[in-house]
Amino acid sequence: MFTRPFRYERAERLAEASDLLRQHGEDAKVIAGGQSLMPLINLGLAAPQVVIDISRAEQSGGSRAIGSDDGYLTVGALVTHARLAADPVAGQAQPLLGAAAARIGNSRVRNRGTLGGSLAHSDPAAELPLAMVTVGAEYEVSNGNRARSVRAEEFHLGFLTTPLEADELIVSARVPSLGPGWGWAFEEFSRRDGDFALAAAAALIRSSAGVIVEARVAVGGVSDRPVRLADVEIALSGATMREAADRVGAVRGISPVSDTGASAAYRAHLARVLVRRAVTEAGRRSETADV
Amino acid sequence: MSSPGRADGDARDLAVRLTVNGRPVSGVAGAHLTLLRWLRDVAGVTDPKYGCGEGICGACTVLVDGEAVSSCLVLAAQVDGTEVVTAAGLCEPGGSLGALQRAFHEFHAAQCGFCTPGMLMAAAAMLADGRRRSRAQIRSELHGNLCRCTGYGPIVDAVEAALRAVRSDPDQPGPPAGAEAAAQ
Repeated sequence: MFTRPFRYERAERLAEASDLLRQHGEDAKVIAGGQSLMPLINLGLAAPQVVIDISRAEQSGGSRAIGSDDGYLTVGALVTHARLAADPVAGQAQPLLGAAAARIGNSRVRNRGTLGGSLAHSDPAAELPLAMVTVGAEYEVSNGNRARSVRAEEFHLGFLTTPLEADELIVSARVPSLGPGWGWAFEEFSRRDGDFALAAAAALIRSSAGVIVEARVAVGGVSDRPVRLADVEIALSGATMREAADRVGAVRGISPVSDTGASAAYRAHLARVLVRRAVTEAGRRSETADV
Repeated sequence: MSSPGRADGDARDLAVRLTVNGRPVSGVAGAHLTLLRWLRDVAGVTDPKYGCGEGICGACTVLVDGEAVSSCLVLAAQVDGTEVVTAAGLCEPGGSLGALQRAFHEFHAAQCGFCTPGMLMAAAAMLADGRRRSRAQIRSELHGNLCRCTGYGPIVDAVEAALRAVRSDPDQPGPPAGAEAAAQ
């Protein structure tokens, strides 16, 4: 609680935050909701010299907006988890995002925590990076002078590791809307409500006449990043809904760790169980989806 | 204000102005102070407690512009100009216990008392929107507030009773009678 003093800078615009980052370099950290940074500061794991607050920055480049247009849903980086979970436009266009947001922490975390903060923090057990990888999101990233777009799968590189340059911030995430015939599911297991997930799985499934045509499946919390399961996606193609869960073989390409929460073997077991549940639920929803 | 041991303390001090439990409070203090520390050390409002520092225990819960937040995870500077309500702000104007506090008292919803200010504010956030909640929903919405004494039963009882009382008292804020009928 008795943290090392730091300077506080309030950025009125995201571009101003990039200027401040260039000015202060490694000594500076950006704060929005603060739900990841403040625990690190309180526990003495981070000790920035300068904290740059973007939580009150004015809207720029859709940073506070949720909009659906032309087959895509765009969610601003400063949108809180509580807002994303409750937003009717987001819920209509891509329900997986709101379902993932609703599972984050507790209501206080969701009231303050932001999409951009969760994505940029890139915790391997976090819900939103998993959802974004599953839906094939692209993040709009800017340093105030130059904007670029980074695919979610190329953004979450490892434990708290992203390709963000020192002066770049996420502005928004762009997500393909859930098309006709698609179903979705988000499953996670934690020891208590609100804890970090020991493992999580997300699935999008498109079916036609009771047969799976296309699947996107990923797991979280069992590697240093969210992992797409190409083997599972291929195995599901052509399966009936009844066969879907049994087409999920061993979950490959993950590297769960043992810690005080669970053993690596248990996490791997959970991953498979949650993938089976997610594909079953997404398949069920795909059959009732508008075609 | 003095900043012992801080050579360049002035550069890192900041003026913050808040309305705390209806009372305007302003102070110049370290910009690194969390809202919790600012409330306790600058404003002298000591009912929010420091428990975990990670947003897990809920002992520091306050309302900022009506929304429940962990005051240990937000800088006072970030919420400059807002309206903050702590458990003490739930009292009646004369200083006697408010309805929610009376329910906690009646149901023995406090034992050691450390979690109580946070529990009250989590409950206050529920009361504020006036929505009907099942017992399971009350439990679920309290899951971010930890209590090591009561076993939670009496706390859920108290919140349930307070929610019921607010909904049946026409003088208390809540949805109009028509909304209730529509929800059934």
